[in-house]
Amino acid sequence: MNTQPKTAGKPPALEVRGLTKHFGGVYAVEGCSFEAPMGQVTGLIGPNGAGKSTAIDLISGFKLPDSGTVLFKGRALEGLPPHVISRLGLIRTFQAPREWPGLTVLENVVMANWDSGREGFLRGLVGLGSAQRGRAADELVKAREILDEFGLTKLRNERAGNLSGGQKRLVEFARIRMAQPQLVILDEPMGGVNPVLGERMALAIEAFIASGTSVIVVEHNLPFIERVTQHVIVMAQGTVIAEGPFETLRSNRDVIDAYLGEMVKQ
Amino acid sequence: MNEALLTLGFALVTASILALSAVAFTLEYAVTNVANVSHGEILTVGAYAAYLVHERTGSAIAAAIAAALAGGFVALAMHSAVIGPFVRFGASPTIVFIATLGVSFMIQNTLVIFFGASNVAYTLDPGAPRHLGPFLLTPLDLEIIASAIAITLVLYVVISRTRFGKALRAVSQNRELARVTGINATRVAAATFFLAGLIAGYAGFILAESVGSFNPYFGFSFFLITLTAAVAGGLGKAFGTMVGAVLVGFILEFAGGYVSASYNLAFAFAILAIVILVRPRGLFTNARRTVFE
Amino acid sequence: MSAYIVSILTEGAIFGIMALGLNVIWGWSGDFDLAYYGYIAIGAYMTLVLTIGPAVAPAHYILGLQLPYPLAVVIAVLSAMAVGLVVGLIALRHLRGIYFSIVTLGAVYVMYVLAGQYVPLFDGYNGLSGLFDPMGDWFGLDYLSYQWFLMGLCLVMFALVLLFMWRLSGSRFGMALRTLREDERAAAAFGRDIYRLKLKGYVLGAGVGGFAGALFAAYLSAFNPSAWSPVEIIVLYAAVLVGGRGNIWGVVLGVFIMGLVVQESTRFLPEVPGHPQIVLALRGVIIGLVLVLFLRFRPQGLLPERRYVDPEPKLEPATRTA
Repeated sequence: MNTQPKTAGKPPALEVRGLTKHFGGVYAVEGCSFEAPMGQVTGLIGPNGAGKSTAIDLISGFKLPDSGTVLFKGRALEGLPPHVISRLGLIRTFQAPREWPGLTVLENVVMANWDSGREGFLRGLVGLGSAQRGRAADELVKAREILDEFGLTKLRNERAGNLSGGQKRLVEFARIRMAQPQLVILDEPMGGVNPVLGERMALAIEAFIASGTSVIVVEHNLPFIERVTQHVIVMAQGTVIAEGPFETLRSNRDVIDAYLGEMVKQ
Repeated sequence: MNEALLTLGFALVTASILALSAVAFTLEYAVTNVANVSHGEILTVGAYAAYLVHERTGSAIAAAIAAALAGGFVALAMHSAVIGPFVRFGASPTIVFIATLGVSFMIQNTLVIFFGASNVAYTLDPGAPRHLGPFLLTPLDLEIIASAIAITLVLYVVISRTRFGKALRAVSQNRELARVTGINATRVAAATFFLAGLIAGYAGFILAESVGSFNPYFGFSFFLITLTAAVAGGLGKAFGTMVGAVLVGFILEFAGGYVSASYNLAFAFAILAIVILVRPRGLFTNARRTVFE
Repeated sequence: MSAYIVSILTEGAIFGIMALGLNVIWGWSGDFDLAYYGYIAIGAYMTLVLTIGPAVAPAHYILGLQLPYPLAVVIAVLSAMAVGLVVGLIALRHLRGIYFSIVTLGAVYVMYVLAGQYVPLFDGYNGLSGLFDPMGDWFGLDYLSYQWFLMGLCLVMFALVLLFMWRLSGSRFGMALRTLREDERAAAAFGRDIYRLKLKGYVLGAGVGGFAGALFAAYLSAFNPSAWSPVEIIVLYAAVLVGGRGNIWGVVLGVFIMGLVVQESTRFLPEVPGHPQIVLALRGVIIGLVLVLFLRFRPQGLLPERRYVDPEPKLEPATRTA
């Protein structure tokens, strides 16, 4: 297995070791292990049923692993609930866009930050202290800037549920930009999105990296993977079967077998 | 020991009525994915219809048929007027649930307008209790148990052997897929509701006979116990429901022996809550909204 | 102002507080909670049992401490919140949608049965009575002027609760609750502790319900299981739905409309001599119909939820996008 050398001794953004999960006798993920390098875009690909989504659920706390370890910023994540993992700096998206449909686009982005100081019930009654008000004002300015970056300014007061699929994805990206996690896991971001938006998304992902967020992308759209990733991990039947830069995987026997010729067609 | 067996005998009666009511409710749920809160009112309407016919004719059989038919038509109306349109419109399950609550309220009040709110006594003579082995049952009890078994068998045949039954199963498993194969889901649902209404209406009749009196609200109280049985057995699974009904019927009857019977409902809900909380996996196979897993 | 108007306004204010509390749980958190009326009842019962004297046979009930009314109200609200916490801990852990609603229906039924059957608690179906003109003696009010006092008190309390809700509605807490309603998974992915947050909203709602119950007890000077009648409950839910779930002004509007419907319907409906319950029943049918129609054609209610509208930014050359 070919592994790209780690970036100058920097610890990986995410380390997964021996992750295992079964559902009623069927192993969705079995002994899955990989590392996502810091400051890079790592792709996670594989045929349907390979266990990619389950792996993401396990990493982000939405499902509990049977065994295995997930290391993030030196902490073990297994067993932690999703909100705790999120607060540690790992945010994930879902296969379908999950905006907050009843809120406006701007509200969606503003609410991307969890701020324990400002979200308490008593604070809600009594109002914010001056320092908090300053933070809130800065947040609003930043939200507007981010929306501008994504070309969503005209839509900022629109009910998020009324947007098209591609626009919703952009709102999700804007939320991630706002929250500035150390690692974001994108679960099939191109799903149901007009391929025309692909370049915009690629640029957004590059912007994530530039602002200090490492990225893991799960995708079926292989040209997109080729465009954005520096390192790719291939999963099949619940475990990792190959790793390396995208070009090296084209001719990898195991990968080709796993896809049953899908990759060759690309 | 004898007491236990006696209680068992009574439990069989409760379980029979409960099984019929619960399986009807489950049919309604299976075919529309809606928990019909006005289900209890089908029983109430059945009881009133039977009462009216019995007063006129003195015939228990005519009363039973009247109860079933009244139940069938009320259920059909529920579906055609409210539940069907909501489902076609794509309303969320909670919204339809609330709507059926409103329908329940409307039917109860309509019955009050026509019959008044006070209790109506059933004048059917249950007959003298006879010893049947270790049990002490009246002829009425025996009829109830026997009819429940008979109806269950007929239902089983209908669901598993007829074309309608096949269509019913298809719609309950996957509405969209059933449509694609040419099944008119709405019509199947309507027919299923009519069938469920027949059973529930009859259940209302035997429940009223068994208890001795009823009023516009009695179906709703019984519905809460029905719900417990249906959820315990697995929402949408007709035969799991019957098992659940028998279990709940027995538990209630035995508990009722130690604690005052008026706590029955509270007991039923304690069971319901425990079941929902302790076995979420087994029960949530049909529901979509659990928290994450 | 006639006594009729005074009682209408008092009831309306109490009803408004009830609806605002329900709005937190159903409107903002998005959970159709059928146990809500139970918290109102607990507030009423506890207030009574804390203010009236000790039980004299044949009546049976707990406590009977003859505490001053304001203190009793505080304890009653805390009691309602405590019960709400228990129900919420159980029901909010795993359940959503109709399963949540069914379990809360069970909870309220258990409360109802306990109140009615377990006589030592609140004297069963007889209920409690004897809370006459609380705080009236502080000001030396006679019966007539007390009605005015109570109306004023309820209106002021309603205004306070409304202010309370207005602040919460625009706050980050309120918005966080709404993200739970809109999409729970996304909320968790962005750091919200779903269980804890929902519990907070639920207990808050229960407390407001209990508070309304405490005022209700003062208004009725009594409370018993028949005051738990389905009509009261359905009208409350219809009010929240019709006006606009999630929007506190919508809820107020809904209370006003349902209040009108309830009052005016009795005026225009035929009276059948000897059958007084027919009018009530007809009213029940109308209310049920209103509920169903709104659910079908206007489930969001008359007033949509308010969203923050960002004002037009001043155009500066440096920030204009290509």
